[in-house]
Amino acid sequence: MTSALVAHQITVHYDRQRVLDRVDLRIAAGETVGLRGPSGSGKSTLARVLALLHAPDGGHVALDGQRLAGVRHRLPAAVRTRVAILFQSPRAATDPRLTLAELIAEPLRATGTPREAARARARELADLVGLTPDLLARRPHAVSDGQLQRACLARALVHRPGYLLCDEATAMLDASTQAHLAAVVTDYQRQHGAGVLLVSHDAALLTRWATRVVELPAGGRPTG
Amino acid sequence: MTDLALPARLRRPLFRPGIVLASVVLVAAVAACLAAPLLWPLDESAVDLARTRLAPSWAHLAGTDDLGRDVAHRSLYGLRVSLLVGAVAALVAAGIGGLVGTVAATCGGRVDRALMRVVDTIAALPHLLLGIFIVAMLRPSLAAVILSIGLTHWLSTARIVRSELLSLRTRPFVDAAVAGGASRTRVLTRHLLPHVLPRIALATTLMVPHAVWHETALSFLGLGLPPHLASLGNMINDGQRSLLTGAWWASLVPGLLLVAVTLALAALTGRWRDRLDPRVRAELHL
Amino acid sequence: MTTTAPATTTGARAGRAPALLDVEGLTVRFRLRDAVVHAVTDLRLTVHPGELLAVVGESGCGKSVLAHALLGLLPGNATVTGQARLHPPAGNPVDLLGCGERRLAREVRGRALGLVPQSPATALTPVRTGRRLLVETLRAYGHPRRDADPAADRLAVEVGLDPADLDRYPHELSGGMAQRLVTALALAPDPPLLLADEPTTGLDRPLVDHTLDLLRRRCDTGAAVLLITHDLAAARRVADTIAVMYASRIVEHRPAGALFDAPVHPYSAGLLDALPDRAFRPVPGHPPMLTDLPPGCAFAPRCERATDTCRTAPAPALPGPGRAACHHPLGAPA
Repeated sequence: MTSALVAHQITVHYDRQRVLDRVDLRIAAGETVGLRGPSGSGKSTLARVLALLHAPDGGHVALDGQRLAGVRHRLPAAVRTRVAILFQSPRAATDPRLTLAELIAEPLRATGTPREAARARARELADLVGLTPDLLARRPHAVSDGQLQRACLARALVHRPGYLLCDEATAMLDASTQAHLAAVVTDYQRQHGAGVLLVSHDAALLTRWATRVVELPAGGRPTG
Repeated sequence: MTDLALPARLRRPLFRPGIVLASVVLVAAVAACLAAPLLWPLDESAVDLARTRLAPSWAHLAGTDDLGRDVAHRSLYGLRVSLLVGAVAALVAAGIGGLVGTVAATCGGRVDRALMRVVDTIAALPHLLLGIFIVAMLRPSLAAVILSIGLTHWLSTARIVRSELLSLRTRPFVDAAVAGGASRTRVLTRHLLPHVLPRIALATTLMVPHAVWHETALSFLGLGLPPHLASLGNMINDGQRSLLTGAWWASLVPGLLLVAVTLALAALTGRWRDRLDPRVRAELHL
Repeated sequence: MTTTAPATTTGARAGRAPALLDVEGLTVRFRLRDAVVHAVTDLRLTVHPGELLAVVGESGCGKSVLAHALLGLLPGNATVTGQARLHPPAGNPVDLLGCGERRLAREVRGRALGLVPQSPATALTPVRTGRRLLVETLRAYGHPRRDADPAADRLAVEVGLDPADLDRYPHELSGGMAQRLVTALALAPDPPLLLADEPTTGLDRPLVDHTLDLLRRRCDTGAAVLLITHDLAAARRVADTIAVMYASRIVEHRPAGALFDAPVHPYSAGLLDALPDRAFRPVPGHPPMLTDLPPGCAFAPRCERATDTCRTAPAPALPGPGRAACHHPLGAPA
């Protein structure tokens, strides 16, 4: 069995426009792949396909050597939770009704962990990503973007995923928060041997953080 | 301004003269309905043929009708019945609409198309006519009137719920829930419906004045509540016969009460809609 | 990444022309039910014609509130004190904080002081196309009807928007396109001072650079820009002067080149060290809540150089090549 998250010949159309054309991408356990490309080159779409959220029009995704049929709820929760995704806007990615503590614990509660155990794990993860306990009782509107993205990272790590996909996850954050989140992800990766995909337009960030960088040209096929 | 998120309630004045007036009218009307049995210990339908068509006076604030019943007394009972019918009918309509909208949005495909065609078809028919048809099929009774209103007023709720669910479903926080392992049911009950419930509640309250009017219209046409029951519609209908004899108060008093209470309800629910609707909110407070 | 900041010319400009904007002791507080938010504290800054001043800082440090305070767009629970004098080249000087809503609306907003808002999606009227919005704006500011249309096209091209996209409604635009449209709307009245609040949110790199260069060109032709951003790379690319904001205060306010080469305030140094092309090391600790600022220097709890002196507030940072708001500035003995 190979430990990798692999996109095979992925093709995606929106309406009649082809966004991705037979794209191959492989994220092996333990490596950090940078993905860059111009606006409209389908970087985010590729990340959503790899996160098992968007069904490609052609090609398939393989997780640890197993070819996956279908996306979203067609896959068992145990498969879905192997891949986590972090979006650019933490505000869009969080349910405004939940407190940060509930937000982080939600994936555990959704898969049947008892309330107290989930709460405890949420506190542990909040500490890991640098959220102070007094913030956990707040709702998203009462915290800053940086604090909310920290909570999103904690939520993404709650199931100990084998793969973490960051879709411009630090583009809206200040340099210090970005560096801190990068350090948290790198630590997690080292401990659990996770594979990481970094979608970013920031050349300096990719050079510093990624182990290799793949270029996705507009509507075309990747090189690198 | 996302740098500092402020509670939305701090950004606007809570009270405006119109809203205060509407609140006072509504509170007074409801209080009077509740206090009616204390003010008049007698049966509101008690006939007193010795005192027919008396003009308003201190003994009978709104006069008496052609059967000698006190109009003020009876109007309050009528309002009570009308509000009750309106509220229950609005709840029935919201329930049907919420269910249809949710089923259409979650099942999608053929189910969605079929349900939405049903909605379009019913919406194409005049709803008072449809309501009359439904009551005519059943025997005139409280339940028949409620059912008639409920079955004709759920369309907008169904449309709202369906479109809200469809647009919420594409939001990244739902993606995050799916990726986190949430089942279909959990996504629906924990992440989607809680956002739609305030909209359903809002649609329900906006519907109450409509439902009250609808009940009144049915009763006025003699298809609503049984004639011996005091309802605003029945009273206006009874009163119109007295108009020719000069007893204008028998119709006017229940009519004014209906207008005042439904306007107050509409004003208050409209205000609530402004506070809930993010688009209006954005325009008011950016 | 190139450093284009002409740090040496700023001083010369500052000496030659009177300040376009002169902010003195600006303080903004928000009353909440159970707390007071210290959003901006005793802030001083000046902007000269031709200058691009970047205010940088973490989200939640109060930098966005600064822009809204200058425009008189704060919610009702805010109290604003201090002075902010605007000297438009054509027209009378005006105190933005004291002149009242009427004068702000008639003479200042848009005309003398433009705003590129942070969230374009909520800033656009949903029922009008981009072209109508742009033409209306041009006409409202005295552009003749005849050539409003071509002028709208020119503005679109200037901000990097295809003129054909002007005929779309706001909901048909992507986030980046909406951002460029609000930039064009802010540029339409050609204000001498433009406030740009995170104008590059949602744009990809080439468009970020395009927008930044556009702001730079405006300054090169004599207008001024106050750029509010979390993005240090953006500030480095275009700013003449940089004001670093931390916990409601400006802690360092210096020419961009000097700041990037040798920051004086430990927080500025920490922020620069966090850049991926430098140490990529976060500033330790957490920023304080604006409802609960420590007495004295707000950065002291996170600062390696902090001593007992830091329990008293340092003197505010002065505009120009002055001091940082720090008892133990870098470059001086600790």
